[in-house]
Amino acid sequence: MKLALKLAFKNIYGAGLRTILNVIVLSFSFVIIIFLNGVMDGWNAQAKKDTIEWEYGYGQLRHKDYDPYDPYTILDSHAPIPENRPDLTPILIHQASIYPEGRMMNIVLKGIPADQQTLLLPTSHLNAQEKQYPVIIGKRFAASSKLNVGDEVLLRWRDVNGTYDANTIYISAIFDSNVPTIDDGQIWMNINNLWQMTDQVNEATLLVLNETSTPLESTLWNFTSQKELLSTIEEIIATKKISSSIMYILLLAIALLAIFDTQVLSIFRRQKEIGTYVALGMTRRKVVGLFTVEGSMYSILALFLASLYGTPFFIFIKKIGIPVAEADQEVGLAIAERIFPIYGFSLVIGTVIVVVLASTIVSFLPARKIAKINPVSALKGKIQ
Amino acid sequence: MDKNLIIELKNLNKSYPVADDSFFALKNVTTQFFKGEFSGIVGPSGSGKTTLLNILGSLDQPTTGSATVLGHDISSLSHQSSADLRNYHIGFIFQVFNLLPVYTVFENVEFALLLQKKSSSERKKAVMQALEWVGLADKAAKKPNKLSGGESQRVAIARAMVKKPELLLADEPTANLDAENAHGILKTMKTLNRELGTSFIFSTHDEKVMGYLNRIIHLRDGRIENDEEISNPKFA
Repeated sequence: MKLALKLAFKNIYGAGLRTILNVIVLSFSFVIIIFLNGVMDGWNAQAKKDTIEWEYGYGQLRHKDYDPYDPYTILDSHAPIPENRPDLTPILIHQASIYPEGRMMNIVLKGIPADQQTLLLPTSHLNAQEKQYPVIIGKRFAASSKLNVGDEVLLRWRDVNGTYDANTIYISAIFDSNVPTIDDGQIWMNINNLWQMTDQVNEATLLVLNETSTPLESTLWNFTSQKELLSTIEEIIATKKISSSIMYILLLAIALLAIFDTQVLSIFRRQKEIGTYVALGMTRRKVVGLFTVEGSMYSILALFLASLYGTPFFIFIKKIGIPVAEADQEVGLAIAERIFPIYGFSLVIGTVIVVVLASTIVSFLPARKIAKINPVSALKGKIQ
Repeated sequence: MDKNLIIELKNLNKSYPVADDSFFALKNVTTQFFKGEFSGIVGPSGSGKTTLLNILGSLDQPTTGSATVLGHDISSLSHQSSADLRNYHIGFIFQVFNLLPVYTVFENVEFALLLQKKSSSERKKAVMQALEWVGLADKAAKKPNKLSGGESQRVAIARAMVKKPELLLADEPTANLDAENAHGILKTMKTLNRELGTSFIFSTHDEKVMGYLNRIIHLRDGRIENDEEISNPKFA
């Protein structure tokens, strides 16, 4: 192996421009694969962190009839809050309508304690004393409803008996969150006000757990763990990862094709050399090994080259982040204005293994032919 | 059995399939070679010289008959054994030198010793000695493309001789050299034959080479036509 490595290095060093081109293209593959996956991992980590902090907490207890994907379940999905559980943040959900500038907009009205500490929602603004019904909304909803801080708007809702009622709410704050699922079409108000408005005192649709929370045995509430809640995000990002992988698979394929091509050409051009190796006492299997090592050495050199220019590039990008276009922030998934890539150990090692293994395989495939070469024909350069 | 016997060929045939028929490159060749011989297989193109040399070097196998080289039956050798035979006991010199272009002169000569897994100091000592034999110690760091034809062939001789083989097979070693270089090469080989006791077998139709040989085997159409001992070679 040591001999093969030494000879392979000499041979590919001697191959000059062909080696340089192969190594450059392959190094691009290394950098692009690590970069794109790093961005995806960064997005994944940031999306999960934001969603935990703004929406999921450390898991949720949902009313047994509540289905977040079925608005028809909202009206009947509420139950009394378990006693002696200050660790649980209750959220009561209702459907309602607002009438900004005379237009009607259907919204989801959510009541939450103004003094809660589990979620990052700026609920302290729900204590505004100057108005009866202070509410907070997200920047996305503020943009779509054209509401600003200080605006008042008519709210219509149904109480627990199904009776319509209406009053004016006051926008006390607009929060800026990367999590669209707590923002789009939603209005947050003090749960005390919502209890009073709907005559559902001390009831909630779901309960958010904090980091000290323990499980609750109850037939009324279904526990959904943080991991289960985040699985949707992970699935979506995994799907996006697959689609983004097409780019680097193409790049890697080009690099591997170049190596394959070089190997095929090498075996044809260097048949006298192959014959000489055999004449000097190398077994054909060793010659196959030598050519295979040569091919995989392109990936080793590419790794060195990629680390030369890739490392400062990765560090720089990690520091400044990747700006995300505003349109892309409306994908329905938590996404920040800037994504800060995460280059994990497993990502880097995994990429190295994949690229080195792939280049070894594409080097071995044509090199196998050497095992069948007649050394006499090789020495005469008569292999077609 | 004569302890000086290094090669024994018995009823050796080598044929190649041609369309529905077979072409016989060697026909019923029977002969022996002995230790220390400076012999040549001579004949026109297509007479089977190179084919015979390739079989002696275990690069090829006879179709029928037997070839025993340094005690090994060539027909029954595995890939590994045949590689070992070439690596430790047989040296090759080719018409077109076949030096490895990306290696220096030193590394080209060192190659066989690398395969033998000799230590670095042993290799260095042996390579420099071999280069001194051929008068190229000062060109050890040069690449083959910086050498003349004569120098390249001398490197090939050093590469073949560095492992001190019992047998050296040279296929038309002077075909690409001018007369002066050819004589220089042949004198070097003759000296090595005398001093190290290595047996040389040439394949040639070059008159200059024949002038150095102690034994000439004439091949024609794959058959031994004549086998003559030369007691007083022209350039001895």
